[in-house]
Amino acid sequence: MKKFHLGGKDFESRLIMGTGKFSSVEVMIEAIKASGAELVTVALRRFNRERPADDLLGPLTRLGITLVPNTSGARNAAEAVRAAQLGRELSGSPFVKVEIHPNPHHLMPDPIETYEACRELAKDGFIVLPYMPADPVLAKRLEDVGCAAVMPLGSAIGTGQGLSTAEMVKLIIADSGIPVIVDAGLRAPSEAAAAMEMGCSAVLVNSAIAAAGNPPAMAAAFSAAVKAGFSARVAGLMSRCDHAVATSPLTSFLAGA
Amino acid sequence: MPGMLPPYLDPTPWLPLTRTATSADVSRALHAAQPGEVEFATLLSPAAGAQLEALAIRARELTRRHFGQTLTLYIPLYLSDYCSGGCVYCGFAADRPQSRRRLERDEMMREMDALKAMGFEEVLLLTGERTPQADLGYLRDAVAEAAQRFSAVTIEAFPMASEEYRVLAEAGAIGVTIYQETYEPVQYEQMHRWGPKRDYDNRLGAPARVLEGGMRTVGMGTLLGLSDPRFDSLCLYRHAMQLRRRYWQSGVSLSFPRVCPQEGGYSPPFPVDDRTLAQIIFAFRICMPDVPLVLSTREAPDFRDGMAGVGINKMSIASRTTVGGYQGAIESPDGQFHVNDDRDIETFCAMLKGKGLEPVFKNWDKVYRE
Repeated sequence: MKKFHLGGKDFESRLIMGTGKFSSVEVMIEAIKASGAELVTVALRRFNRERPADDLLGPLTRLGITLVPNTSGARNAAEAVRAAQLGRELSGSPFVKVEIHPNPHHLMPDPIETYEACRELAKDGFIVLPYMPADPVLAKRLEDVGCAAVMPLGSAIGTGQGLSTAEMVKLIIADSGIPVIVDAGLRAPSEAAAAMEMGCSAVLVNSAIAAAGNPPAMAAAFSAAVKAGFSARVAGLMSRCDHAVATSPLTSFLAGA
Repeated sequence: MPGMLPPYLDPTPWLPLTRTATSADVSRALHAAQPGEVEFATLLSPAAGAQLEALAIRARELTRRHFGQTLTLYIPLYLSDYCSGGCVYCGFAADRPQSRRRLERDEMMREMDALKAMGFEEVLLLTGERTPQADLGYLRDAVAEAAQRFSAVTIEAFPMASEEYRVLAEAGAIGVTIYQETYEPVQYEQMHRWGPKRDYDNRLGAPARVLEGGMRTVGMGTLLGLSDPRFDSLCLYRHAMQLRRRYWQSGVSLSFPRVCPQEGGYSPPFPVDDRTLAQIIFAFRICMPDVPLVLSTREAPDFRDGMAGVGINKMSIASRTTVGGYQGAIESPDGQFHVNDDRDIETFCAMLKGKGLEPVFKNWDKVYRE
């Protein structure tokens, strides 16, 4: 399978995992291992250097994966930039997932503050991955300021509503010069496969795995689905046709047909 | 003159449903795509009470969806039990013949260090109603001290002006809890016999002023037992929804304190039993799926264990409600309320783990302060 190139590094896996909502650190670690994910995002607010039992950074560091600290909790660009800088300092990772959701209830990303934070962080040398509304114009603006990828939402965080933004994501993919990663809202592995078939470079999954009956098994299922979807994309899907194609074409009477 | 329940909180149009909803109404409300007052009132009805297990299943599903398999922990720190209020139901009321004290700075620091050593990262600082001993300046100093140690500092004190809340936000507080106690104006007046807390309207406006003052979250609730719980819950629901719409960059959380019957010599006029309390919590969870719902150690272990992750996603544990309680001051009957769950952190966390819930101590970071 073609490697996933992001921020100057190559990855085998195109499944990125989130680390919230798990019933225990042990289950989270098992799920990450089963997913084969090499990129894992973790909220800075869950770093706890003073109480190892409550800390997510330590166990993730020991896994040897590439950490993507995220700024979840930030309400504006200034807070996100501070969080990103602290995240880099503590984790040693140049990657950052910019999450700015001022409304704490639906957690929809703020396009204006996200743009400002990304511009600043890209200048500061971060490998910037913005969680963003599925807006094709914003995606290009974020590419222009130096983001390494864009991460449009499939639907609101944690809702499991699937790829409700599919038409917008297709427009983003069509225009994008950087990887497009669907982030948030996926519920079933089939939706991850659909995102990959559509042309996404990777998908990020958290709740669908953490809230599954058996998180490691669901992580493995997502991994297989992402691989299948990507392989299908590379293989070339047949085009869709909204009417049956006759076996005796209407033009068979024409000379040279 | 009693205060006035403003029209935007008036539950009258929906109150009949809390009595007359049918079991078919309940089934519809359980899975409504956009639940509102109708669904909320329906879920408070006796018909919904008869389907409590179905409510619990839906509440657990939504709690898991929004908060995962986690439960956030916090600890209250009583700074002062001076009070200018005359609440008939409260152990700290100003006319109770008890000695009063407040934590001085060195004691405050020792208490905070003790809580920090226990592993807590979110502390709720409490005082009574405004007094010269525990005023804004005192609180500001306490917040600044706590902000040096804890990721998240919140306050439960007296109603303030928005500029005063701003002072505390700038000192490092991220949230304020203020309960209306009851939205029923006449009942409110009877419960609050004198002092500044008698001012219903001032208290009612406090949550908006909290958010106006720059706090990130406001914690709200009614003291269950003081008035018709269905009336109060509907008002609380409407109040929380109104604040969410108006202050869209802020969060609301809800708590469910209740006056336990036959306790502390006070019998509440509208006692709320366990089933009713659970039903109220489930109704809030189903109609406000993404709002943090909090349960304190006022409640007994069995009830808390049953509600953990099933509607409730945040709890205190190892709480002391006596000033100086973490530094060995004896937990006296003079505490603000009786702690019914006196388990230690390890025992409580083991219970959570056994239920497949991860206890979360740190869910915030100082970096998000200005």
